[in-house]
Amino acid sequence: MSGLATAGQPHGTPTPQPPPAAPRRGDAPAWQRWLAATGHFTKQRISFLCMLAAASWGVLREAVRPISWRRTVRHEFRITMRQATIGGLATAFVTASLTGFAMVSQALYWLGVAGQAELAGSLLVTVLVRELTPLLVGLILLGRSGMLTVTEFGMLKAGGQVRTMISQGIDPFLLLVMPRTLAMSLSGFTLGMLFAAVALVMGYIVSAALGTTQDSLWLFLDKVVSAMTVRDYMVIPAKLFAIGYLVGLSSCLTGLTASTDDDLASLMPRGFVRGILVIMVTSILLTLTV
Amino acid sequence: MKATDPVLELAAARPFFDQSALPNTRFDLRLMAGECALVVTHDADRATALSDLCSGMLDLRDGAVRFMGYNWSELGHEQTYALRGRIGRLPQRGAWIGMLRTHINILLPLLHHTREPLDSLVDQAVELARQVGLPGLPIGRPEAMPEADLMRAACVRAFLGEPRLLLLEHSISADSDELITPLLNLLTRALDRGAAAICFTRDSRLWRTQAFPLAHHLHLLEDGLNPVRSVREKSRQRDATERERTD
Repeated sequence: MSGLATAGQPHGTPTPQPPPAAPRRGDAPAWQRWLAATGHFTKQRISFLCMLAAASWGVLREAVRPISWRRTVRHEFRITMRQATIGGLATAFVTASLTGFAMVSQALYWLGVAGQAELAGSLLVTVLVRELTPLLVGLILLGRSGMLTVTEFGMLKAGGQVRTMISQGIDPFLLLVMPRTLAMSLSGFTLGMLFAAVALVMGYIVSAALGTTQDSLWLFLDKVVSAMTVRDYMVIPAKLFAIGYLVGLSSCLTGLTASTDDDLASLMPRGFVRGILVIMVTSILLTLTV
Repeated sequence: MKATDPVLELAAARPFFDQSALPNTRFDLRLMAGECALVVTHDADRATALSDLCSGMLDLRDGAVRFMGYNWSELGHEQTYALRGRIGRLPQRGAWIGMLRTHINILLPLLHHTREPLDSLVDQAVELARQVGLPGLPIGRPEAMPEADLMRAACVRAFLGEPRLLLLEHSISADSDELITPLLNLLTRALDRGAAAICFTRDSRLWRTQAFPLAHHLHLLEDGLNPVRSVREKSRQRDATERERTD
């Protein structure tokens, strides 16, 4: 074969060598592959975080412009508000009642036993209203509305319907992402306020029925409200709005960034994990910083 | 936009090769108001990609695409979306937003882009629906509708709101003969009103039998858009070539 290749060449001409084969991915040493995998994983996580930050700013920027609030956008906002708030009401009531039953009545009982009943207000404000309520409301929003959004948007993206919208001159960010994010933010605050009120009232009813508290309902509520500081009045609404906002946005983005390889089996867990992380991180950051 | 300006102009437009199913070549086309171009292609993806190019949805490597005198690549985000609202498309797939009912799907672009009262939009849509053979505006879920009715509903959506450019990607075949006459009637009225249209087809015989007046008859091939010559034109050119040789 080499003789045939050099047959027409003059003597002394070096035989052309085939170019060296490019190294294949599998040929790389194990440490390089490990490094590449780590980089890929990190890049993926950071890119979602950057996207979340950029889209957060985008939603706020669009929300203050009157032209963004076209009738289609207002309609989407109303539908999401109804779905997330009215739809989530029953779940929030049941969860709040159980929390009140399990936590408030127990707190009142054990603080009474320990002779620290006067701390009930500040304990309930710190643990229940400031920490637990935003977390549980975030989880309710994520489960009832966030996962629905992930599925709906994932299907829209995979079915080419997002592209259809773009071809009709409808910006999916304006029509879908902005109203859903804002509606879920408002819904988070509404559900959170109801959740805290129901949990406190339910806890009081159970405690009164068991005889662990002798106060009237108004006195009990007055103790809770008196225990709230200015910081609490800032942190609690901030947490509820922020968690609703970020759960909505993270769900929208997870759905809209689905690739053609994605199906529900891959999309749903991703949306859930991102949602949980967003809830936890937001809650912790706001507790630490405000 | 001046009266003498084309509604759509592809001026040596070459999209990035990796972004679409279009061949890596330059596209040239000028469509004036009232003109219709028939593009013959057997590749549905190419038809969609050329429609995307006309709608400013593909980035260009060089050249320009102008619609109503506006160069897509020079427009801002909002202007681009607003201008696309003046295009009526009859897409091939992915055309229906599954979470909305069919009538909302039909009305959505106009509800989004205009402030026209809902009743007026519904009246227009009902009128168009009747013209394409539907009893009224379909209100069911798109996935629950028969294919033929869905096609009619797609026609209503494409022609609603008097678009300036019509991109009929869906190839009308001989077996949809119930739709061809109303569709061509709608198209004729739109062209008379000053719109321009690009119709994609796999088989141009159907259009020839309908004797529809076409400003351009083109083939979408590997080397771009090529004019389709009739048998008479081909023989005339052959005669001319032979005459030149003998001279």
